[in-house]
Amino acid sequence: MSSPSISMARQVPLLQRPVPLSWILLLALIVHGPLLLMQLPNGSYDANLHKFFASHYAQHWFNPWNTKQFTGFSQTTYPPMEQQWVALFSHVIGLNLAYMLVQFVAILLLPIGVYRYAKIWVNERAASYAALGSVLLGSLAFLVYNAGQLSTTWAAPLYLLALPYYYEWAREANWRSLLKGLVLLFAAASAHHVTLIFASFIFALPVLAMAIMDRHREPAHASLGGVISRSVIFAVLAIAGVFVVLMPFWMEILINPIKQMTIPHASRDNYILQPIWGMNYFIVPWGAIILSIPYIFIKGLKEARLRPLFLGFWVAMLFALGGTTPVPKWILGRAFDVLTFERFSLLAHVLALPIIGLMVCDLIDHYGRKAAFVTGALAALTFGFAVSWPVYFQNHDPDFNVSEVVSFLNRDGHDKFRYITLGFGSHKFDEVSTYTTASSVDGDYNSARLLPELTQYGSAQLTNSKYFGANGMESLRAVLRHADQYGLKWIFVHDTFYEPLLAFGGWRKTETYDRGSVTLWVKDGIPPAHPMPYQQSMKPTEIEGIMWGTLPFGSSLLALILALALPDKRRRGADTYEFPISESEPVLREAR
Amino acid sequence: MKFALPVIFGLLTVALLAVGAVHPSSTAPASSPEGAVQAMLANVQGHDWKDAYSYISPSSNVDLQDFVKDLNGRDGSLRTYSSLESFTTRPLHENDNQATVRTETKYSTAVGAFYDTRDLNVVKDNGQWKIVWAGEKTPTVPPQVIPVNYLRWDVIWRGAGDDWGSQNVENPHVRILSMNPVSQASGLSIMGEVENEDTVPAFVSVAATLVGKNGQDLGTESSFDRTSHVLLPKEISPYRIDFPGIKLTEVQSARMKPDSMLVPASADPVIGVMHQRIEKDAKGRSVLQGDLLNESGQIVNIPHVLATFYDNSGKVIWVSDGYVDHALLPQTPQGFAVSLSDDLAAKVHSYRVTVNQYSRDWQD
Repeated sequence: MSSPSISMARQVPLLQRPVPLSWILLLALIVHGPLLLMQLPNGSYDANLHKFFASHYAQHWFNPWNTKQFTGFSQTTYPPMEQQWVALFSHVIGLNLAYMLVQFVAILLLPIGVYRYAKIWVNERAASYAALGSVLLGSLAFLVYNAGQLSTTWAAPLYLLALPYYYEWAREANWRSLLKGLVLLFAAASAHHVTLIFASFIFALPVLAMAIMDRHREPAHASLGGVISRSVIFAVLAIAGVFVVLMPFWMEILINPIKQMTIPHASRDNYILQPIWGMNYFIVPWGAIILSIPYIFIKGLKEARLRPLFLGFWVAMLFALGGTTPVPKWILGRAFDVLTFERFSLLAHVLALPIIGLMVCDLIDHYGRKAAFVTGALAALTFGFAVSWPVYFQNHDPDFNVSEVVSFLNRDGHDKFRYITLGFGSHKFDEVSTYTTASSVDGDYNSARLLPELTQYGSAQLTNSKYFGANGMESLRAVLRHADQYGLKWIFVHDTFYEPLLAFGGWRKTETYDRGSVTLWVKDGIPPAHPMPYQQSMKPTEIEGIMWGTLPFGSSLLALILALALPDKRRRGADTYEFPISESEPVLREAR
Repeated sequence: MKFALPVIFGLLTVALLAVGAVHPSSTAPASSPEGAVQAMLANVQGHDWKDAYSYISPSSNVDLQDFVKDLNGRDGSLRTYSSLESFTTRPLHENDNQATVRTETKYSTAVGAFYDTRDLNVVKDNGQWKIVWAGEKTPTVPPQVIPVNYLRWDVIWRGAGDDWGSQNVENPHVRILSMNPVSQASGLSIMGEVENEDTVPAFVSVAATLVGKNGQDLGTESSFDRTSHVLLPKEISPYRIDFPGIKLTEVQSARMKPDSMLVPASADPVIGVMHQRIEKDAKGRSVLQGDLLNESGQIVNIPHVLATFYDNSGKVIWVSDGYVDHALLPQTPQGFAVSLSDDLAAKVHSYRVTVNQYSRDWQD
């Protein structure tokens, strides 16, 4: 028996404390784990494109020249890091589960990144709420389960993880921070080039402003010149490093600049005039965050410290609105018609989350458990609605089976000839490409296109030709006219719209698959396919192949090693505390 | 003062949204005859049929359903596989109460771009300009029985389990009857006629490779849809193969490659060509026009007209083609027109029209 003792520590109520990061990660596992185990992202728009790229890396790690689409194209046109991870894991758990696993890692990285990034601006408690909110973001659900943007969901958290190190380096001249910040930045660039360009402005400029504003904040005592010079050093090293890590990518852009006609995309529409796309690209991904916009405006602009963050959010929000405001067009010019804008919602949300974290703190402080319940419910509903949105808004055809198509192409030497699909959609076409040994004239990733019949018209994939109007059909006609040159013998049709053109153009319907939903059209007298002569100069060199197979993947590996070998020191006294500190009653505790 | 910045940014955001959303109403009364036509076509482009119909004068005597069918097609015709992509308008004449506006429309269709020119009458109706829509009148064919006694060829192919060695049914014999290169500003075209010499139907494709002065291949192209691919025994089809950007002076020779394959075929449907004549169209261009008559009892969804033009010596001097955007209903004439350049029209001595067709049911 021991006597009762009095604890001297003040007990802080649960809702007044920061949420431990481990709990947040557990929530991510609870929420996303089952959805990923159900392989829900398999039906997302771009998932099969990433798997297609990954399947090539799985077989040809050091040879980025892929002959399965566009009659041959270089995969150095797209940063490879996450696809290489999928390729690596696919040897153990198969391609589909490998994709889910890599996607899950990205989902786990997001709250960690948001937490560290938010702590630049807000206290630990608000940062933890921001991280908690990031798990349930509608924009994250949209990108993971609807758009399949594995690259953006990887690159964004890596940037968020890198920038606090830059902040430390700029203020404190900490060499470990410089090293870790740069390596994480290289890994982020290896994940996605578009996020690299935009995050450099939207994410990084607010941090630069904060580094200047906080130059005297404990434990730093930096001068303005010191912060700026260290920022310049960081920027120079980052640009040089990204150039080296992605050198084959830049070489490819230099040799084959993107000169193709612009391709329409609904994310560039005016969401007010086209309400269905407003719903798809704004209401669904933003969800309950829309309710917090007035608070973000007031809080973000009232407090000088939050203004750089608010400005980053505001610009990202205008971009997330696509063509609803003229701002993206003014800033981007012609590039506006090349980009798609759905990813900017995630970037805007990440920048808003620290302010939303403050809002949640205020609400909980005022209304206690009720506020916690309501905000939690709104976040859950936002997430749930975004995940289930494809069920209510089906913007692609019902699923159908392509195994017979793959089987046909892979048997009896049919892969001597090339094929295209019509009406399959890029998702199903990528699935065929992944599993067949045959080459297609068509391809999914627009920026990798080299064939003049594809680049001279304002249309994307041949399989979706009709959605690009006369340009799409003219592009298809041009390819069909040159069927002899490309060895294009097989055409698989999942949409009878294309049948008149094939019938008049000299193809014959010969076989039917998947209970009549797919037909095979054949043209006789087509010579077997051969490599296109002009492509010899387009192929990456052996050295480029080795660089592509080592540097981007290596940068992510190095980031992982540095995270383990050089753990961050727990800082004391540097956290922001609220004043006045609330006093609470000592607690009687019985020692046993 | 502490709310000044949030208010400024809030107003700025709303202003930017408003600037982006500035858009004329899709049913606003038109201030001019051309404006009425433009507003109607803009609504057709956006598939806002009701709004498009609001610009149609009640005196047109056409209901919304028929109006939509006129624009959107019927009976599985090419128009049903199309959507309005762009248009231009031009007033031809105008007074206070009436005007005529010429529309040139470009449709995106299943076989490529399709161009149409139409003159629309516009009248002032209760102070607003409205279009007098001349609805398409579909003639009613009296109930009748059409005996079908056409020739048909079926083929029994060698099955996977058949022990026939490498023997199969021999491919039909086809022959290039004529080949004539014609140089134009846009490039070189090779045209002529191909015949199925055999006693069985053939699926025919014609391709050509141009050989340059130094013996190197300049390019390979095919006739694609400028030929009839299914040829019955002894049937002759024209073909035209275009080589854009190549001049006749660069070419030493051409290698012709006719491919043939035995296919099942039938002589049905029989499509008659009537009232053929070369005339000037509304824009003053030379066209060969006439009527097609579907003599069978089933609908032909998409007809494709191929016209072969001969000079005095019987040489093929041009092959022209055009799709018809209306279906051929049984026993119902349907007009067609294919273009012809004015200088060629002067040289034409005779012409022959053949008709390809695509019909959904028969393809299956």
